[in-house]
Amino acid sequence: MTAIAQPIAPPSRLRNAWRGFGNLFRRAPLSAFWGVVAALIVAMAVAAPAIAPYPPLKSNFRSMQKPPSEQHWFGTDQIGRDTLSRVIHGSRTSLTVAFGAVLFGTTLGALWGLACGYFGGRFDMASQRVIEFLQSFPDLILAMAIAMALGGGISTVIVAIAITRIPFGGRVIRSVVLSLKEMQYVEAARGIGASHTRMMFRHILPQCVAPYLILATTHLGVAIVIEASLGFLGVGIPPPTPTWGNMLSDALNAGLVPPWWLVLFPGVAITLTVLAFNLLGDGIRDLLDPRLRGSV
Amino acid sequence: MYSYIARRLVFGAITVVGVSIMVFVIMRILPGDPLVAIFGPEGFTKLTEEQRAGYMRDLGLSDPLWVQYFSWVKDIAQGNFGRSFFRSENVADMLLRRGPLTAEIALLSVVISWLVGIPVAIVSALKPNTAADSAVRFVSILFLAVPGFWIGMLIVLGLLFWFGYRAPLTGSSFFADPRANLELVIGPAIVLGLGQAAYIARMGRSALLEVIREDYVRTARAKGLNGRLVIAWHALPNALLPVITLSGVLMGLVLAGSIPVERAFATPGLGFAMFIAVSERDIFVMQNLVFLYSVVFVLLNIAIDVAIAFLDPRIRLR
Repeated sequence: MTAIAQPIAPPSRLRNAWRGFGNLFRRAPLSAFWGVVAALIVAMAVAAPAIAPYPPLKSNFRSMQKPPSEQHWFGTDQIGRDTLSRVIHGSRTSLTVAFGAVLFGTTLGALWGLACGYFGGRFDMASQRVIEFLQSFPDLILAMAIAMALGGGISTVIVAIAITRIPFGGRVIRSVVLSLKEMQYVEAARGIGASHTRMMFRHILPQCVAPYLILATTHLGVAIVIEASLGFLGVGIPPPTPTWGNMLSDALNAGLVPPWWLVLFPGVAITLTVLAFNLLGDGIRDLLDPRLRGSV
Repeated sequence: MYSYIARRLVFGAITVVGVSIMVFVIMRILPGDPLVAIFGPEGFTKLTEEQRAGYMRDLGLSDPLWVQYFSWVKDIAQGNFGRSFFRSENVADMLLRRGPLTAEIALLSVVISWLVGIPVAIVSALKPNTAADSAVRFVSILFLAVPGFWIGMLIVLGLLFWFGYRAPLTGSSFFADPRANLELVIGPAIVLGLGQAAYIARMGRSALLEVIREDYVRTARAKGLNGRLVIAWHALPNALLPVITLSGVLMGLVLAGSIPVERAFATPGLGFAMFIAVSERDIFVMQNLVFLYSVVFVLLNIAIDVAIAFLDPRIRLR
């Protein structure tokens, strides 16, 4: 048995990943390009203190609410903080929240969906009802209510957004598992007496990785928009922490006519980031699921 | 058919009860101490022991939780939804005054999304992988990424900057002053409509592409029907079914999206009230509005399921 299995053992994961990356560039150059943009944004977030020309919280009372200039490329806000530095630092909060929410929410939902699909029966029925209740709230409203109830702070915002992601992970992975369960190789595994844990994690889970990755990248974009909306509505991460949503909210509070640079740049940052993750997600989907290629 | 509708309604009723319990848990139990939610952690520490007890008693917060829950349900059943903590207005009056504006925005945005989304979907499905198709797809992907409230801010800013125009700040009903009312509503409706149109175009395109490949469409062509007629009479109705369902799901996007968008446009609608409630930490108003929005969302989706059942003979005749 082992003697036969050895020669056709799959190549190492790392090499697979590299090949996947190369494929992405060849088959979907556009998605790969946006993947690079996403990577650059992540790098910007990681290296924010090194890149940002000024500290994000430092006010300069000599140049308050000044339009873009040599010293301040993106201008300054009403208390003289450098907009460029704040946009750069904003990417940190935005991405931390987005990755945190997806890591907890989408993953928890996916594991829940795995259990629902695998065990079925009463557990599944009850879970589906709970998921239905969760889905009867519009995303942003649920996140607002939870963030408001728990009080401000980065961890509460992550929790609030994560909870809105759970039902999607649950639904998608559940349906994948339901169809996988009927596959012959799963039946065979059951036939030779594999335990539930082994079946779930060894035979079914690996097949769920592709749909999970697709879902997770899309959810990154959604989470960024929800985070920005929460900040804009004043239930996000409390000021003075620079977040893109807070900056847009501050711009509206700046006066009857908000200065254009305070409105333009944070919004462009949100749009570019979400666009990058969405298109990367599209690329990953095309690559991992050939049936869907070009359909959406 | 009727049993399907009845079943759907029963499930809807259960969902509404579940939603009310969930809202109650989130707004009343999750914060630990409701006074912390109202006054904020700092304000809470400044209150004296007697003040805290007094507020708890006045607001009915010292009752057992199930008593609080049922008194809330009673408020809802009586149709007055309780009072705002900071304003003298009760939530029902607020609904009557602000609700119509938000409803108009929602309705208008759905109309706009169909008017824009469907033609775009048809063009890009009939000529897949052409330049027009790619352009349409890129624009729709762009619109999925842009936050609506930011577009709203840009529109307000642009109009003010170039035309010195600002939408009226006070609410006015369509019947009293149609022009002022329309000026108020059109901006948010366009922003929210285009946001939905992007989803509708995507969904419509893939639904149409699928339907066009079906046998009955080929048959229609083969018997010599004009290409346009085939699309309009045979392909489109079937392709629209999933789009109608999607439109219902997107109502969530509209209802929730209208909150930041109304803030961006300073529209005096219900979404703006929600923003005020959140920034004043008014958990009573928030609790009721969250509940109402969710109930509207649930009911709309039931209505759409029923409509689909009527429109789709595969379900209607079952």
